Amino acid sequence: MNIVVAIKQVPDLVEELELNDSGTDLDREWLKFKVNEFDEHALEAALLLKDAQGAQVTVVALDNGLDIDKALYAAAAKGADRVVKVTGEFEGYVSSHAAAKALAGVISGMSPDLVLTGVQAVDDLDGQLAVLLAHELGMPHITVVTDIEVNGSTATVQKEYGGGMVGEFEVQLPVTLGIQAAAETPRYVPVAKVRRAMKSTDIEEISGDAAGAGAGFEVTKMFKPETGQGAEMLSGSADDVAARIVEIIKSKGV
Amino acid sequence: MEVTREIFRHFPKWMELTFYIVAFSAIGIFLYGFYRRYKKYRRGRDSGRFNNLAGRFSSALKKMATHETISKRDAVAGWGHFLIFWGFIVLLIGTTIIAIDHDFLEAVFGISILKGTFYKWFSLAMDVFGVAFIVGLLMMIFRRAKKPPQLDYARVDLKKGEYDRKGYTVDDKIFAWILLAIGITGFMIEGLRIAVDMPSFEVWSPVGWRLGHWFRGIGFTSDAAFKGTYWVHAVAVMAFIALIPFSKAMHMLVDFLNLMFSDPMSARRLPGVTEEKMKESMGYIKLEDFTWSELMDFDACTKCGRCHVACPARTAGTALSPRDIILDLRTYADEKMGTPELFQQTFSGKQNGKGKEPALAGGIISQDRLWSCTTCMACVEACPVGIDHLNTIVNLRRALVEEGDMEDMLQDTLQNLGDYGNSFGKSDRMRARWTKGLDFKIKDARKQEVEYLWFVGDYASFDARGQEISRKVATILHRAGVDFGILYEAEKNSGNDVRRVGEEGLYEMLAEENIETLNDAKFKTIFTTDPHSLNTIRNEYPDFGGNYTILHYTELIANLIKDGKIPISNKLNKRVTYHDPCYLGRYNGETENPRDIVNALGCDLVEMPRNRSNSFCCGAGGGRIWMDDSHMTERPSENRIKEALSLDGVDVFVVSCPKDYAMFTDAVKTSGNEGKIEVMDIIDLVGEAVGPEEAAVEEA
Repeated sequence: MNIVVAIKQVPDLVEELELNDSGTDLDREWLKFKVNEFDEHALEAALLLKDAQGAQVTVVALDNGLDIDKALYAAAAKGADRVVKVTGEFEGYVSSHAAAKALAGVISGMSPDLVLTGVQAVDDLDGQLAVLLAHELGMPHITVVTDIEVNGSTATVQKEYGGGMVGEFEVQLPVTLGIQAAAETPRYVPVAKVRRAMKSTDIEEISGDAAGAGAGFEVTKMFKPETGQGAEMLSGSADDVAARIVEIIKSKGV
Repeated sequence: MEVTREIFRHFPKWMELTFYIVAFSAIGIFLYGFYRRYKKYRRGRDSGRFNNLAGRFSSALKKMATHETISKRDAVAGWGHFLIFWGFIVLLIGTTIIAIDHDFLEAVFGISILKGTFYKWFSLAMDVFGVAFIVGLLMMIFRRAKKPPQLDYARVDLKKGEYDRKGYTVDDKIFAWILLAIGITGFMIEGLRIAVDMPSFEVWSPVGWRLGHWFRGIGFTSDAAFKGTYWVHAVAVMAFIALIPFSKAMHMLVDFLNLMFSDPMSARRLPGVTEEKMKESMGYIKLEDFTWSELMDFDACTKCGRCHVACPARTAGTALSPRDIILDLRTYADEKMGTPELFQQTFSGKQNGKGKEPALAGGIISQDRLWSCTTCMACVEACPVGIDHLNTIVNLRRALVEEGDMEDMLQDTLQNLGDYGNSFGKSDRMRARWTKGLDFKIKDARKQEVEYLWFVGDYASFDARGQEISRKVATILHRAGVDFGILYEAEKNSGNDVRRVGEEGLYEMLAEENIETLNDAKFKTIFTTDPHSLNTIRNEYPDFGGNYTILHYTELIANLIKDGKIPISNKLNKRVTYHDPCYLGRYNGETENPRDIVNALGCDLVEMPRNRSNSFCCGAGGGRIWMDDSHMTERPSENRIKEALSLDGVDVFVVSCPKDYAMFTDAVKTSGNEGKIEVMDIIDLVGEAVGPEEAAVEEA
């Protein structure tokens, strides 16, 4: 079984976020980055399948010019068999459309049975990557996945719904899945193992192209939530309060 | 009549010959068993312990001769063993003299030294030490009959029926009773020998003389009685010699060597992982990973149980007993190598299951046992024979960390330490935030030369209660005119507990980063409020090229008070007790500075029964503070608070470690003792004694 896991790095929220001068993106120069938590779960889900029934796990990430090598070495140390860095123009914010296009170009050549990625990431919260990736790869997709079982050429997948409901799907492979959570907490990889991986692992570089993948939108303004204009607390007897409410409603011209 | 004794008196030649055949067989069995042991240790890795042999030998000799490690905190066992030991040694020397005299000097040269005045003194010494030997044995047999808790072999991790340790009890009984039989029959044959003609010079054998009289009186003087008793004595001795390498009697030989080759820095300075080993796994995963001295550790255990009762994890009702870790590894090693230990524990059920061999860490020694250790060092400190339980536990933990086998909370913490250099998962830029509340600016030791560099540590930097204490320390030192600075966001967790968790790679990373920062800073001395940081910086950083003088703040403050730099304007009338932090008292032997401070402030210091190097752990060390403790029957910290409350009229529990403060303030609440005792950092007391505002409050 061939499993491809797409991961990316997101700003580490432990640091205070600053905006760039034009106010359209984060000031990425001073940020700390870490692997998207949902992608860590996608990798863990792949590794659990590998542990249980054997699989070739390939981890793919767009080269965003940041510490992506460290993330790929960590993935190799955890048990990924192959780590691939997709080179190209991927610095700064990359929309899910662009990411899907670039990743699909690389992943399609890997003949995967399963493509896993995090259901969403803190820097987009759009949950679209898995869907768009599936579209580009011509595969079915299921997202918000919490459990995967592979039986031959099909997979039984659990998807989480609101209100604590869970749906079970049977799907033909290959399929692209957006992972909400792996069955177990993503494993810890000790520093020694990462160091070992750095010596023994070659990060493959494959160039990727996101040309023509418009996001369909443009960020016009990024800002911190603005403080409201202040509320007026009403006090006094019920009659007084009621009179005041009427007064306010009238003054607003309702 | 010549002043001497006849060996093999009235023995026919065949009987004498039989004696030699039995004796040589026994010695042959002994040598074979001893060789098997030797081969076992030879299979271990090198432990680099062949340095300073003279120093090692004399130190072990001193411990053995004085029995200091055995008599510590157990006078009965100390005296009992002392009498047996010296009785045995003198009787052994005596018997050897007889053998040399009879089988060599007389047989070869036809001369004998065992006569005249020498014989008289010889007889006296043998009788006196023979009595000592028997008295010691009786003391130990009675002590054991009273079933003290440390000699209860019940396991804490398995239920009755899942294991069988009758072998251990049989071993104990054989050992004690065979020695007692040898001692008693020895006196009997002496008495029977003297009873025949009562030579007057034999009054120099006071016991034998009296026994001889008595035997004559009751008519027990036949040659057959003498020969019979003689053979009982001889067979017991020979059986004992043959049994030595196959039973707990082996401790007579192994434990001296174990004391000699133990690490004088054990626990304080953990061994690193060699580059070669790092390539495979940083932890111990197979028998071949153990060093020969560790393999000897497992055999050295006499099951005295001191570690078992001292261990806070065991006291808290977890599955860990340091004694059983050592004994289980002995069983494991013996099973693997076929060492001829006759008295083993056996397991029923899954432990004995064939099929897939269980992993060493996580299988033979279960995860919950390994993770329960607080690395408080009580076991190592209590062990009379130099066993290093902690080293083995950490080496096995390393194997768990290698596989990522740990609970989520610990995993998150290690991740945080790797990402941010602190266990709180805060941005490193927040590290010095606690200084904000001060009305002066603490020097940045990276930029300015200072006399003292304060290594603050995580808890004192990030924990809200710790921050308050840090501000008090800063204020008092500032007022006392001490020139000090901190490293601001460049300080990382010192790694003491990261190393003891078993994350050696991360420890190396943290230590190297700190050393790089420290080497760039200009200062004379480091001080810290954190005993854990103190330990690793003092004892372990030198292995990574960081050589510094580091003090605990209690030493600094005690000196400032002595020098009058911190004037005590307001003597405190408090009745307090002081808790020695493991990493300060037991690990680094610093117990008096905090007491000097408390006394200088005018407090009435009442000691808890377990104090100084025998202090009882708060339960936070070795990474335990990053793990769940809800499964314990009683947290060690609660047990300790109870101990303090048992003291008469003590209302303040003084600590000198930021983790202690957090642990014990919690324990007071969770044990329902709020309002009965107050936990205070020692600096809180100092603050009250110097501050004029506080003084006013005190008087009001």
